[in-house]
Amino acid sequence: MEGNINLVGYGLSAIGGAIGVGLVFAAYINGVARQPEAQRVLQPIAFLGLALTEALAILGLVFAFVL
Amino acid sequence: MKEAVILAAEEGVNPLVPNIWEIAVTLIGFAILMYIVAKKVVPAFEKTYAERAEAIEGGIAKAEAAQAEASAALDEYKQQLLDARTEANRIREDARAEGAQILAELKDKAAAEANRISEQAQVQIAAERQAAVTSLRSEVGVLATELAGKIVGESLNDDARSARVVDRFLADLEASAPASQNAGASN
Amino acid sequence: MIALARPAAANEGGFVPPTLEDMHLPEILPWAAEYGTGFGKQMLLVLLSVALISWFFLAASRRGQLVPGKLQHLGEMSYNFVRNSVGKDIIGERDYRPFVPLLFSLFFFILVNNFFGSVPLLQIPTPSHVGTAYALAGIVYITWIVLGLKKHGIGYFKLAVVPAGVPKAILPLIVIIEIISTFLVRPVTHSLRLFATMLAGHLIIMLSAAGSEFLLMDADFWFKPLGVLTIAGGVAMYFFEILIQVLQAYVFVLLTAIYIQGSLAEEH
Repeated sequence: MEGNINLVGYGLSAIGGAIGVGLVFAAYINGVARQPEAQRVLQPIAFLGLALTEALAILGLVFAFVL
Repeated sequence: MKEAVILAAEEGVNPLVPNIWEIAVTLIGFAILMYIVAKKVVPAFEKTYAERAEAIEGGIAKAEAAQAEASAALDEYKQQLLDARTEANRIREDARAEGAQILAELKDKAAAEANRISEQAQVQIAAERQAAVTSLRSEVGVLATELAGKIVGESLNDDARSARVVDRFLADLEASAPASQNAGASN
Repeated sequence: MIALARPAAANEGGFVPPTLEDMHLPEILPWAAEYGTGFGKQMLLVLLSVALISWFFLAASRRGQLVPGKLQHLGEMSYNFVRNSVGKDIIGERDYRPFVPLLFSLFFFILVNNFFGSVPLLQIPTPSHVGTAYALAGIVYITWIVLGLKKHGIGYFKLAVVPAGVPKAILPLIVIIEIISTFLVRPVTHSLRLFATMLAGHLIIMLSAAGSEFLLMDADFWFKPLGVLTIAGGVAMYFFEILIQVLQAYVFVLLTAIYIQGSLAEEH
C-alpha cells in the first residue's frame, strides 16, 4: 500500500469545508423558499459565503500538495 | 501518489506549479476572445436588443397615434352630425315661421279685400237709396196732384164724402209733413 | 493516456492507478523543452476553444434580426443569461454594462474549456492545468483591484480591509484577517477552485476507466463482473462531471461579478 498521508489529512480537513458549504446553501435555500423575491439579494451573499467557506478546503488542498 | 509528489518535487510536476507557457497561451487566447467579444459580439447583440425595444415601443407609439387620430375623427364626425342636425332644425323653424307669416299676410289681405268690397257695396247701396229717395220725392208730387185731381173730379157729386176726404187729406198732410222730412233726413 | 492504455502491461498483474503524471501529455512541438514544456495538447485546446466560441457567437450575432432564427436565439439566450442573471442582477442596473464582455468571455471560455474534458478524443479539461486557472483568476484579480482604485482612489484599500461597525478592540485582528482573505486568499481560491474541481473530476474518470479496464482484462475471473460496476460508476461520474463543469463556470463568473460589485460599492 503506497500513498501520502498528506492526502488523508486533506480528506479530513475537507469535511469541515463540506459541512460549511452545506450550511451556507441550506440557509440560502431556506431563505429563498420563505421569501422567493429575496433571491436576488441572497444569491451574492450565498456565493460569497460559499467562496469563503470553500477557501479553507482549497487551502487544505494547497498544503496537501506543497508540504 | 507518493512517487508522484516526489517526482513533482524533482521534475516540477507539482500540479500547483504553473507552466508559464500555459499561462501565456491562456492569456493570449483570452485576450483574443475578449477583443472579439467586446468589439463584435456584444455590440451586435446590444444593437439587436435596442432595435427590438425600439420596434416594440415604436409600434406601441404608432398604435397610440392611430387611436388618437381615429378618436379625433370620430369627434369631428359627431360634431358635424350635430351641426347638421342643428342646421336642419333651424331651417325647419325658419320655414315654419315663414309659412306662418305668409299665412298671416294672406289673411290680412283677404280681410282688407273683404272690407273694401263690403264698403263699396254699402256706398253703392246708399247711393241707390239716395237715388230712389230723390226719384220718389219728384214722383210723390205728381202722384199727389194726380190723386188730388182724381179725387176732386169724382167727389163733386158726393159732397159729404168729398168733404171728409178733404179733411182727412189735410190732416194727413199736416201730420206727415214733419214725418216725411224726418224720413228723408234719416236716409 | 498512453500510460493508461494498458497500465497492467508494465506491471506483473498489479493495478497501477493513474497519477498526476498522466495529466501531462507528451508535447506536440517540444520547442521550449528546456523550460519544462513545449506546445502541448492543452494549449492547442485553449486556442481551439477561442476559435469555437468566436465562430459560434459571430455567426449567431451577425444578422441581428428582430425575430431571431434558431442560431440567433441560442446565442441570445446564452448572452442574456450572462448579461442579465449574472451581470445585471449582481453588479446592478447602473453600471453593469462595461463588464458584460468580460463576464461573457470568461463564462464561455471556462465553459467550453471545461467541456473539453467530456468530449471524446479531446478528453482533457484545460483548467485542470493550473496555468489556465491562474491566468483567468489573475485577470479578474487585477480587474477588481484596478476598478476599486479607480473608483475610490488609494482609500480603496482602507475601504476594503476595514469593515464598518467593528469594535476598536478587535479591529487590528479583523483588519489582518480581511487583508489575508481579500487580497491573498481570494485570488488563490478563485483559481484553485476551478483547477481542483476539474483536475479531480478528470482523475476520477481516469481512475474508473483504468480500474474497469484492469478488472475486465487482467483481473481474476471472479473479479471481472466488478468491472461492470466500475463502468457504471464511471458513466455516472461522467455525467456528474458535466454538471460540475457547468456549475464551476457559473460560480467562477458569479464570483467575478461579486468581486467587481464589491470594489464598485460605496461600503465594503
